[in-house]
Formats: sequence, structure tokens, C-alpha cells
Amino acid sequence: MPTITIDPVTRIEGHAKITVQLDERGEVQDARFHVTQVRGFEKLCEGRPFTEMPALMARICGICPTSHLLASSKACDDIMAVRIPETAEKLRRIMNLAQIIQSHALSFFYLSSPDFLLGMDADPEERNIMGVVRKYPAMARDGIKLRQFGQRVIETLGGKRVHPGWIVPGGVSHPLQADQRDQILGEIHEAIRITRSALHWFKGQIEFFRAEVRSFANFPSLFLAMANDAHEFSAYKGWLRFIDANLNVVADHITGTDYQNYIGESCNDDSYLKSTYFKPLGLANGMYRVGPLARLNMCQSAGTVQADEELAEFRELERHSVLSSFYYHYARLIEILFSIERMETLLHDPEILGKNVRAHAAPNNFEGVGILEAPRGTLIHHYRIDQNGLIESANMVIATGHNNLAINHGVLQVARQFVKGNALEQGMLNRVEAVVRAFDPCLSCSTHAVGAMALDIQLLAADGEMLDRLRR
Amino acid sequence: MAGVLIIGYGNTLRGDDALGPLALERLRTQLGDAEFLSCHQLTPELAERLAACDLALFVDATSSGEPGTVEVQLLSPETSEADSLTHHVGPAVLLDLARTLYGRAPLAMLITGAGARFESTEGLSQEGQQALDEICRLIPMLV
Repeated sequence: MPTITIDPVTRIEGHAKITVQLDERGEVQDARFHVTQVRGFEKLCEGRPFTEMPALMARICGICPTSHLLASSKACDDIMAVRIPETAEKLRRIMNLAQIIQSHALSFFYLSSPDFLLGMDADPEERNIMGVVRKYPAMARDGIKLRQFGQRVIETLGGKRVHPGWIVPGGVSHPLQADQRDQILGEIHEAIRITRSALHWFKGQIEFFRAEVRSFANFPSLFLAMANDAHEFSAYKGWLRFIDANLNVVADHITGTDYQNYIGESCNDDSYLKSTYFKPLGLANGMYRVGPLARLNMCQSAGTVQADEELAEFRELERHSVLSSFYYHYARLIEILFSIERMETLLHDPEILGKNVRAHAAPNNFEGVGILEAPRGTLIHHYRIDQNGLIESANMVIATGHNNLAINHGVLQVARQFVKGNALEQGMLNRVEAVVRAFDPCLSCSTHAVGAMALDIQLLAADGEMLDRLRR
Repeated sequence: MAGVLIIGYGNTLRGDDALGPLALERLRTQLGDAEFLSCHQLTPELAERLAACDLALFVDATSSGEPGTVEVQLLSPETSEADSLTHHVGPAVLLDLARTLYGRAPLAMLITGAGARFESTEGLSQEGQQALDEICRLIPMLV
């Protein structure tokens, strides 16, 4: 049976391949997203002191270390059974918002904007960030500046843009200084301008991508995100909630102690990435999505003025949940706007310069779970320790794992729409990749990979003979 | 020495790959007027700072060449077909970004020291140490 293989998928964080299975008539029968390399952090941390986990686990990825640092520290807070000082919590929130800004800016401007600006059918030699730099330098400058803003906040607070320290079990290691606060505040206005400009531009582009809106993982599914009583956007504190495509609450008030009753994890024979599913419905029916789209579907308000205006407009896309994963891009921009606004509010809080930023304690629990909304979606760190405080087992449930079933389903949907017959065309194949890119998967977090990314597409006949191959 | 930016990059946990950051540590006291930037990798966000300086020196380690030797290379902006700038860009591409996005690229040189050991370890090999000494001897003459 003919198979098209895209290996590896480009412009995502990490390495993966896609296989598209054709039937005898050349119609798409099945499509799969495979993560091809293993990471293994859950195993290598066994036997290490739990206090080392934030620094160690953050090394899983160079794009998302801040998210892992936060989730891991929250799990350690749980082991120590401490309530961290209010100032520390606010500072951690700022760090998380900065991470959302820099990561979303990376996804939108660096990874996906070539598709929007240069077109899905453009020559792949041009359809990349360097093509954007040459043809749309103002947009490229904005993207770099916005990401730089998020990174600079992380560096200001954590000492480094990549793999910062500072966030520790019990809080943060040292307080924020007034000059640091003022420096960040001084950049807020420009960051908002860039984001509003990108939002305005993107909304004007949507009509040119109707086919992609229709076919990019556009189907009913459950959504999972952090929730709170106020039904506001929540990325740091709250419980987990599942909703369905009609915005009905399916499961609520899920905490670290019972997440495993609702979230199942399944291993796959053809991928190192696990698939998670809503346990009460089983693997076959329990597909759900996390990340920006899920979070905006989940909340009734963002909680900030400008983001709320954008959220109201976003909600007009559909009567109930917004279902097309193409709108992940749109949701990312709204989340950036929210993050900047919320950060400004937190920085103006008189408590933000407070000196009490860390609680100290020995282990008081043998188990701890930290849950956070990372840029790409819900992130869970779960540790068990022995009586000496050494890690006995660790489990990390990563956004890309949550989305794995939906990514696979989306690849199949877009392949059926755009892959016709045995001829390989770059534009067609880029759309198959682009549906994966819409989820902004981070494969380094969910497993890992090294090396240079390229594209290798193989068209195989029913008997395994290679009929055609494209590489870039 | 107005407008001199010295960027040392590499992984300090990978033996001689630390040459760039270690050279910066040593030169900071000698070249007080220069701006120093130590990082794991070059990223697009550095382009704006490059456009604002007159002379940029990139200090890197290499696994090719005779271990212990140092090479100085004049750089010019170079376009790239790289499809992603998320993790790493080369110095010449960074110069091109500075020129294209911010209107100017500085005079720039790449100083590479050939190392002998790049496995997961802290500290330099004997050859790495030799290259570091040579880099720190050369750079004050270049600025």
C-alpha cells in the first residue's frame, strides 16, 4: 500500500515524521505523526534529591525551561507542603507570562509566519524566516523584538534567558528590585503595540486561509485547561477542567491528587510520544486538546481590558467552542496581549517588591504534583520520593502528549483534504506539516532529539517499494 | 575602543567548547571599554545589538584544525536559506540580519580556537588552554 513519509517535520521544536498511507486508488487511508527520538528524563532523575528537580528537569528543553522550572517547583512545594509567600507567587506568575510571550512569539513569527506571509504554496527555499526577513523586514523586526521582550523579562528575573535559575522549591531565590521592575515596565507599551499590530494583521489574513481553517484539525473534541471560580484565564493557579465542544463542563475541580483518574497515558508502537486521553471515555473516544485554543475556549473572560476585547471578537468565530486548530495562531496572539497586560498589572502591585519570597521546609509529603499552563498547554510534574527525599519515580505529562491524538487526527484530516494521488507537491505536504505546526508541538519536552532539521518525504508502494522521494 | 562588542559563545559543560565564554571572563578586566556578551549560542535577538556597534568579535571553539591553534577570519554578511532561526544562527547570517533589519552591519571577525576535547566535562584540555591563551593575546591587538 503506498505511503508518503515526511521525515522529519520542519519548523517545529524537535524531530518527528509523518506518514500518509494511501489506498490502492491513491486516496488517503490513514496518516500518523511519529516522534522519532527518545529523551528519558523521567528515568534519569530517579535517585536524585527532589530539591534538584527544578534545575534538572528544566534541562529537558531550551525553549520551555521556564515552564518546567515552574511546574517542577510547584511539585516540590507540594512535597514540602508549603504555601509560598504572596510576593513569590506573583513573581512566578510574571515569569510564566514572560515565557508565554517569548514562546508564542517564537511560534507565530519565527515558525509559522512564513506560511501566512509567503503562502502555503511558496517555494520552500523562500518560505522560511529568512524569506520573511527579506520581504517583510518590519514584521521580522517586530517578531524579534517581542520575543526579546519576553526573554529579557526572564533574564531580568532569572539571570539568564535560557535555563534561568531563581525559581526554587518554596518560592523564588531573591526579590525583585525597583530598577528591574521599572526596566520591564518601560518596554510594555512597545510590546503591546507590536502584539496589537500582529493581531490586526492576522485577522485580516484569515479570509485567505479558509481551506486551512476548514481542514486544520477542525473537529469536535474535548478541551482541557486550568480553571478557576471566576472563569477567568488562568495559567498558574487553579484546578483542571474538561469541557466539550459545546462548552459543557465534562469534569471539573481536578487536582494533582486525582489527575490520574481523568488523564490516561498510552504508549504507541510507532512513536516515542505517549498519547493521553480522557480516561472516563477511554483511548478510542477520549481525545482532547490543550493549549491556547483550549484556554480561550475554557475562560469566559481574560481578565484584562484589551485581551477581553479581542476574546469577545474571537468568540464570534463560532457559536460554541472554536474548533479549528488553525485558530491556535490567533489564540496565541490574544494570549500574548493578555500576558503583557497582566504582567503590567502585577508589576504595579505594591507587594511585588516585597522581600519575603521564599518558604523553607523539609519534605512533609512523599508525593507532589505541580500543574501549570505552559505556552503549549497543560504541564504536569509528578514526583514520588523516599524517606531520604530521593526521587523514586517521576511522571511528566506534557502539552504535546495531551495533543497527540488530536495532532494525529488533524494530520489525517488535512491529508485527506490536500494529498491527492501519488504525486508529491511541496505546498500539499507543507499543509500536512502546518497542521502539526498549528499545535506548536515541543518534541524536546515530550521526548527529545538533536541534529539539524530537514524534510524527507517518501512515497512507498503497497509492497514497500519507494515510488518517489522529496528531501529538503 | 568605542563600539566594540565581543561575543563569546559555547557550552561551558562541554570541555573546550567553553573557549568563547572563558576568553570573555579573562578579557573583561583587560578591555574595560568593550561590551561583552557570553551565550550558549547565537540567536537572532543579537542582531539589533550588532547593528549598534562598530566592531564585533565572535569568539568560538572548533573541533576542526590542529588542537591548540587559533584562526582569525574577517566576516561579511551572508544570506542563509535556513528554515528556522530558533536555536542557532551563524555569525555571518547574524550580520546579514543586522544589515537587513536594522540598516547596518559592523566590521566583524570570527576568532576560533581549535579544541581537543568536547565531551561532557568542565575545564579545558591542555590544547584548549593553549588556544585560550592565544585568543586572549590576539584580541587586545584586534580592537
